Amino acid sequence: MSTLQNIQGNAACAAGAIAAGCRFYAGYPITPSSEIAEQMAARLPKVGGTFIQMEDELGSMAATVGASLGGVKAMTATSGPGFSLKQENLGYAAMTETPCVIVNVMRGGPSTGLPTRPAQADIMQARWGTHGDHPIIVLAPHTVREIFEETIRAFNLAEALRVPVVVLYDETIGHLVETVDLTPPQPEDIVTRTFASGPAEDYLPYAAGEDMIPAFPRPGDGYRTHTTGLTHDERGFPTQDPQKVDAFMKRLLGKLERHAKMIEKTESVEVDDAQVLIVTMGTPARAAKTAIRQLRDEGIRAGLLRPVTLWPFPEAALRAAAKGKRAVLVPEMNAGQLILEVQRVLGGAAPVSGLNVFNGEPIAPQQIAQAVKELVK
Amino acid sequence: MNEIKVTSADEFDIRDWLRTDLMPHFMCPGCGHGIALRALLWACHELGIGKDRLAVVSGIGCSGRTGAYIDANTFHTTHGRPLAFATGLKLARPDLTVIVISGDGDSLAIGGNHLIHACRRNLDMTLVLLNNEVYGMTGGQVSPTTSAERFTTTTPAGNMEPVFDACKLAEGAGASFVGREATLQTPALKDLFKAAIAHKGFSLTEVISDCTEIFGRKNALGSSPEMVLKQKKVMIPAHTDNRVPEPFKPHPFETGVFVRQERPEYGEVYEALRARVREKGK
Amino acid sequence: MSGKAKNANGDGVTSVLVVGVGGQGVIMVSKVLATLCQEHGLEVKQSEVHGMAKRGGAVFSHVRFGRQVHSPVIPAGEADVLVALEWAEGLRWLHYLNPETGVFISDVRKIIPPFACRDRGRGVMPHYARSTPRDVLEKVSVGYAMDATDTAARLGNERAANTVLLGIMSTTLPFSENAWLETIERFVPPKTREVNRAAFLAGREWVKDATVPQGEVLPQVEVDPALPQARNVWDINPAWCKGCDICVKFCPERCLKLDAEGKAVMVKPELCTGCRLCEMLCPDFAIRLSKEIPEKVSS
Repeated sequence: MSTLQNIQGNAACAAGAIAAGCRFYAGYPITPSSEIAEQMAARLPKVGGTFIQMEDELGSMAATVGASLGGVKAMTATSGPGFSLKQENLGYAAMTETPCVIVNVMRGGPSTGLPTRPAQADIMQARWGTHGDHPIIVLAPHTVREIFEETIRAFNLAEALRVPVVVLYDETIGHLVETVDLTPPQPEDIVTRTFASGPAEDYLPYAAGEDMIPAFPRPGDGYRTHTTGLTHDERGFPTQDPQKVDAFMKRLLGKLERHAKMIEKTESVEVDDAQVLIVTMGTPARAAKTAIRQLRDEGIRAGLLRPVTLWPFPEAALRAAAKGKRAVLVPEMNAGQLILEVQRVLGGAAPVSGLNVFNGEPIAPQQIAQAVKELVK
Repeated sequence: MNEIKVTSADEFDIRDWLRTDLMPHFMCPGCGHGIALRALLWACHELGIGKDRLAVVSGIGCSGRTGAYIDANTFHTTHGRPLAFATGLKLARPDLTVIVISGDGDSLAIGGNHLIHACRRNLDMTLVLLNNEVYGMTGGQVSPTTSAERFTTTTPAGNMEPVFDACKLAEGAGASFVGREATLQTPALKDLFKAAIAHKGFSLTEVISDCTEIFGRKNALGSSPEMVLKQKKVMIPAHTDNRVPEPFKPHPFETGVFVRQERPEYGEVYEALRARVREKGK
Repeated sequence: MSGKAKNANGDGVTSVLVVGVGGQGVIMVSKVLATLCQEHGLEVKQSEVHGMAKRGGAVFSHVRFGRQVHSPVIPAGEADVLVALEWAEGLRWLHYLNPETGVFISDVRKIIPPFACRDRGRGVMPHYARSTPRDVLEKVSVGYAMDATDTAARLGNERAANTVLLGIMSTTLPFSENAWLETIERFVPPKTREVNRAAFLAGREWVKDATVPQGEVLPQVEVDPALPQARNVWDINPAWCKGCDICVKFCPERCLKLDAEGKAVMVKPELCTGCRLCEMLCPDFAIRLSKEIPEKVSS
């Protein structure tokens, strides 16, 4: 059954969440992500789920994690200032390995900034927003269809790896309406966390097997476990024993590396013969695709590497794509964040330059084409 | 024919409710939180709550760490947020009995916003607010309930700020069950918890607890037993003529149940909404 | 059969005193009685004090009815019936009962507030009197002591204990069973009508079995003093005790002491009254008190 429809990015996000099995949403109004909350408020009761508008961003993140701790797939959405406030309990989700999805529709900052204008200045915050070393996955869709897909994938990864997953896109795509096919995924493509089973006697809630992901003890199933934001041992109780802390942190931080194949996702456009590699995400990636066509018409060979999974950063894919390129261009709607990671990964293997726009306007294809031309002069 | 049965206190063995392998607990000698915890578990026992269906959500601080000793589903969350976590948990799992343990700093300062909205929303859960007038875990700083002129590490010249009356705050915010009791009155405290947990809707139970080691010492309030005994002197059972003289001075404090009213419970209201939406969709 | 209220002071006024602690339903009992009287064309005055109306605080209610009633308050020694929903409250008001003809009705359950054990010198009896039902029933003209709470609990709701006692009380007053039941129905929540009905009838039934000749002591008192026969057993866990001294200072009998290591130990076991104050106030859950009681004390 084809389900072609004209739908806004934020609405596609809500549709994806419902399709992924999300049955709880706690949010707080903020531009430009409020449509997600509005959509969830209408959709969730129809499928037996719960929507609640909390008293603040802190509370909405806490309620989201609380619902997931109850064994229900849960999500929240926000934008810049709200994302800052959500960091506290996002860290708790990372520490307690509670699956949840946080959508951040990026707007101009800092502070209240440009509430109705797009930006990509939360790239680093999405990775390092909460304090302390922590695992996190960040997905960066660039079309309405991809918002739908990536929201589903966000739930799948969160549930499979017991980790918070951020869906990060900018205001332009959030408010973009496209005609897309929102065919729901097959049931076998939906992942739900593994719930603990077996004897409750001597049960260790944080003891993981080879896959480093402990099964989730659902309240009411008889395990009566303790969940804490304090560093804990395999029993779930606080510990300061350096050996136990070390083992715990290594597993917590290592589990994403262990499952890198499941997480990693990039898109490559005409990379192989390219002289110049463009690395970008979100709205600028759409502009880059147009620029590449224009440039190729003019005989300049440019290609695009787009991280769909932004964090953990696709290091190997970038190294491979950049091999032998004359230059690497990183267009982004901020003062230079993605470029820091590109430079770090390439370590001087290719000259990297940036194209930075942070005036609230999207980057135009002509701007990228112009920048590439400068590089091949 | 005349039968005598010894009170059910005999059947209640707190060890059945504790994670005994974690004992002795971390609390200081004489800490009132332990007495409150006993009363809470005693209430759970008398209500016949199954441990598997009991979820205890706590925040940060001394109060926050008491939850870990309960042999139930326990969640030690972030500072000030236990009510918000519990809101998500209860909405997702209405089958669980949700009890939130929080302190005066946790729920009246950093978590004040969640508190008033939880009162307003009336979701079926019970807040156990352990009020010991101080931030104990961090070494004894002033809290929103520290009495006037008391010394703390951040009020070296005595506290100058007026205090919050948690019960009046909750009543004003629309809580459908509000009560206060002192740890000295353990059986009455147990009964207060019982009534609060059995109440359908949001219940706030404020416990007058003692921080004997830090707050007591700093203010020369005497030994642990002396501090517990002093509760009686400042306690006024509700509905007597001895009104609290100043609204922002809870000492002496009233005890008893101040609010108990039937209001639509949020979970049931939401379930009705789901049914309506489903009906429309047909 | 059962004892009847006597109107002993000859003014045609019957005085019923209902006492208990907050939350037990003292007011309900007196309201049912007052309403019933009123509907039978009697003048009735009801005077209640629920000053400490929180759970556990003392509550009492005077109900006086007759053709003409002037004072709403029962003078000491003139109550025809004393209904106590809590044992100690019954004892506290015992002197209000007419010593010659009064009927004493009480639940034997004790609700012991920690305060009951305070401010007491060593060896002095605890404020919570140790009088057994036998002691009391010997002093009154007609006495009924039963575990109404247990009876109510078996019927499904221990809060209906007041109605069980109301059932006993009803046998002392001249109104019909149906009139009582109809009035009770109006004063209890709809959901608890059935259990209250059953509780009332259970109380009435119990009196029949009691077969007490008027003015005589209940024969059943022999079986009552189970509590004094109980042996108190302590379990003090030194690994959990932090030596806060609360149990030592609060123990009314000074049974406990901190040892050289600062751990609570029982030093005067023979003085322990089993009041549980130490157990209830121990912040470390280090004290567990249990009672070994003779199996079932049968009549």
